[in-house]
Amino acid sequence: MKWFPSFGFQRRKRELQEEIDAHLQMAIADRVARGEAEETARQAAAREFGNILLVQDVTRQMWGGGWFEPLGRDVLYALRQLRKSPGFAITATAMLAVAICANSTVFSWIDGTMLRPIPGARDTDDLVSLQRGERNFSPTPPFSYLDYRDLREQNHTFAGILAYHHDWITLTGGALPERAYIANVSANYFDVLGIKPVLGRFFLPEEESRPVPNVVLGYSLWKTRYAADPAIVGKSIEIARHPVTVIGVAPEGVVGAMPGIREDLWVTLDPLRTDVWRMTHRSGGAVWLNVIGRLRPGVSRGQAAQDLDTVMHNIVAAFPDDHLGDNRITLDPMWRSPFGANGYMAATLPILLAFAAVVLLLTSANVATLTLVRFVSRRRELAIRQSLGANRIQLVRQMVLEGVVLSIVAGAVALVLTSWTSKTFAWFFPANSNPLILNGSMDHKVVIGIAVSSLLAGMLCGALPAWRSAHAPAIEVLKAESASISGGSRNRKLLSGLVVAQIALSLPLLVCSGLFLRTLRNLAGANPGFEQDHILTASVGLNIAGYSHDEEQVIRHKILDRVSALPGVKVASLTDWIPMTLGHKGDDAYPEGYVPHPHESLQVYHAEVAPRYFESLHIPILEGREFTPDDDEKAPRVLIVDQTAARRYWPGQDPLGKKLRIWGGLFTVVGVARNSTHIFVNESPEPIVYMSFFQVGYETIVQVKTEGNPVDLAPAVENAIHEIDTRLPVFDVRPMRESTQMASSFAVVQSALAGMFALIGLVLAVTGIYGVVAYRTQMRTHEIGVRMALGASRVDVLRLVLLQGLWLTGIGMALGLAFALGLTRFIARLLYGIGANDPVTVVSVVMLLGAMSLLACYFPAHRAMRRNPVTAIREL
Amino acid sequence: MNEKDQYKNRIELLQGTLDMLILQTLQWGPQHGYGIVQALRLQSGDVLQVETGSLYPALHRLERQSWVQSEWKQSESKQKARYYRITAKGKKQLASDLGRWERIVEAIGSVMYVKPEESES
Repeated sequence: MKWFPSFGFQRRKRELQEEIDAHLQMAIADRVARGEAEETARQAAAREFGNILLVQDVTRQMWGGGWFEPLGRDVLYALRQLRKSPGFAITATAMLAVAICANSTVFSWIDGTMLRPIPGARDTDDLVSLQRGERNFSPTPPFSYLDYRDLREQNHTFAGILAYHHDWITLTGGALPERAYIANVSANYFDVLGIKPVLGRFFLPEEESRPVPNVVLGYSLWKTRYAADPAIVGKSIEIARHPVTVIGVAPEGVVGAMPGIREDLWVTLDPLRTDVWRMTHRSGGAVWLNVIGRLRPGVSRGQAAQDLDTVMHNIVAAFPDDHLGDNRITLDPMWRSPFGANGYMAATLPILLAFAAVVLLLTSANVATLTLVRFVSRRRELAIRQSLGANRIQLVRQMVLEGVVLSIVAGAVALVLTSWTSKTFAWFFPANSNPLILNGSMDHKVVIGIAVSSLLAGMLCGALPAWRSAHAPAIEVLKAESASISGGSRNRKLLSGLVVAQIALSLPLLVCSGLFLRTLRNLAGANPGFEQDHILTASVGLNIAGYSHDEEQVIRHKILDRVSALPGVKVASLTDWIPMTLGHKGDDAYPEGYVPHPHESLQVYHAEVAPRYFESLHIPILEGREFTPDDDEKAPRVLIVDQTAARRYWPGQDPLGKKLRIWGGLFTVVGVARNSTHIFVNESPEPIVYMSFFQVGYETIVQVKTEGNPVDLAPAVENAIHEIDTRLPVFDVRPMRESTQMASSFAVVQSALAGMFALIGLVLAVTGIYGVVAYRTQMRTHEIGVRMALGASRVDVLRLVLLQGLWLTGIGMALGLAFALGLTRFIARLLYGIGANDPVTVVSVVMLLGAMSLLACYFPAHRAMRRNPVTAIREL
Repeated sequence: MNEKDQYKNRIELLQGTLDMLILQTLQWGPQHGYGIVQALRLQSGDVLQVETGSLYPALHRLERQSWVQSEWKQSESKQKARYYRITAKGKKQLASDLGRWERIVEAIGSVMYVKPEESES
């Protein structure tokens, strides 16, 4: 009765007692009235009433808790049963826990990235990111301020549209300068996101385009750099040596609008009147804003896109020269927004979750096999319970409950494991120059996910075998001492089915992980078109530290001179971009004499590089020349294009001497460089133009080719720079090879997880087939003994057992192959240098699985073969 | 539960029939458990002896299904007792139970009174 939770229980119990007392009193009174003696009447009444305790007990069962108490009893019984076979309980729990953890880990990563695209924002489902022109896997900011403003003011489908642009900046004015990621945002930025300040206020509409030096601090920056000063609002701080006033602090956890990127502080679009050009132009360098809109309630993405297209069409018609090429607008929900990390996440994580689900199915099949075998060995117990009056539903419930108890324990273990594994996502991303904040999160969605998957697994593990076992006719089981009844053909079929399922599920996992691993190897072995060994790069925060332009130019020359003179340095150069680090710069370029196709994007990648850049990276200049120190601000603007750009814009012509308009200026092509990788080894080649660093360079990255290990030179390079000015911020000093790992980090995630899942699958499939063959062989000991006594040779026995196992393997692999061929189509996009149905991979996987299964079948077969026929026959 | 078997010497009521009988008895007015036993015994001419071990669970079940309501009242003989009263829902249930009962009786009757020559053919 301790299971009964109701507080009213004691009262009802007392009332029942009183009710029964009243009954007895009335019965006695009646008898006394009929003339019986008091004592006889009392005894007769009591006798007539019967067992009072029993009446109370059966009556209480009617009180609502009726289902609760038997359930409690069943749970206790299930626990007792599991304690009786700790080996099974521990193995099954561990396997289920690992499989559930695989699912919940991947799900926690999805939860932390795709499902929480903008932490702290309200109703992120209504937010869409805007993209202009050709759809692209890693786009650059697509809108100019004026275009954005027109879209914002002339649309009919959005509750609000925000714009932002972010970059590194140096916080000066404190004891130590500190680098922070700052965002220039439209005044409605926080309103559209639905975020309220914890201190002060956010920006006002009239502040948007006026130069008001106000700043909103991020919560963690406020905590760390400004010691959580409660009176910070109204105080002045220094950003890149300019005084600005703090007007507010954003709530904890708010990190900006780009998924996966952490913004530390926010200012308006042009707080210092340094971006006037950008605020008043529609093309060239003025295309700098990322834009996110919040749909009005009831408006679909399609309607909104149509609406914006109309507005954009009018803008293009009014300013055709600023909008050559493709200007169509596409909208993406934030979970797969191409701006930020979610584009990559959406391409990778759901596939991994599908793999994890396969692992869970596989594990359930394996545990179901174990459970079935266990139930078969418990058939006498079940039969006895059945003949004592338990009906089939009760038996099934009891057995399913054992599965559910297992899976609940497994779920709890998985929960604990996941709270750790969810945080391992960040490990996959090497140190890099982006303020990445990718990680899994562990919230109620993950907990619900664990609960659902563990219950499903529990049902699968328990229900199938239970339903089968409960079929066994009690009488026969109790009568029959022979093992022949044990399996029963139904159970045997189910066992075989489960083994076939395990092999059929593990094969596609192995094929996919094989493809991923070879993709990773291909990526690592691929030639990116430049030499990245013995290269050290170091960023110098010149542009963000508040120097004047002339000062910057002088410092840059000094850096180049000093670093070149260091011992161990072969070549030193400057650049403002490192390839294969997920980042790139892009702008619209108008090649002279080139007529774009309809809907062709004219955006090109660009990089600003100093003399000897190509030499240090071993990128050959195929025609013309490399930049020289003379290509400075006084000289005519020059450009080096890559082969892709040359072929696209001037097919069949000599590109040298051709002109290209970028940022409103004309650049003359002086050289053609060989194609090299920009972002991913497996990207489709996009045109890139290189401009002279000393003409238009912005950020400063020192690029050094070293004689020995580039790491050894890092302190010397840093010192050399600090000798020029100790206040120069130097950061991200690391070998290029380390930086470019970023490009393959998603391939690493895929292959690491797929590899782990496949390994689990292989182990489960092999142990599954071993278990079933061993069990069935043991069940047939008697039969085998008879066969041997009748003259079967040991080889015959071996063949008998082996064939049985190999049949199952064969069917499983055939099904698995069909499954795999269907599945690999979905990962084709993620592969590099290998076909989705690569025969070598498929054949090796089939051979591996076949060999492992053969081995798994061999042991029981060998054991059967060694049996002494006489003892075998005696054994039942 | 096996102790229940000791009540074997009386007529076992068909499942569901007891509910119907209790509801029918309560048609005449609120009654306590003892009263219901007495009423059933009298009305059936001493044939139906309802077990307390069946009656009280049944009463509590009926109350749970809101077919009856109970309250504590003084009986005529100044005995405080729990009186059960049939509800509107209970009356509806009684009607449907009765219909079912009549069909069963009819069905059993038509089986039991089949002419012998027909059943042999």
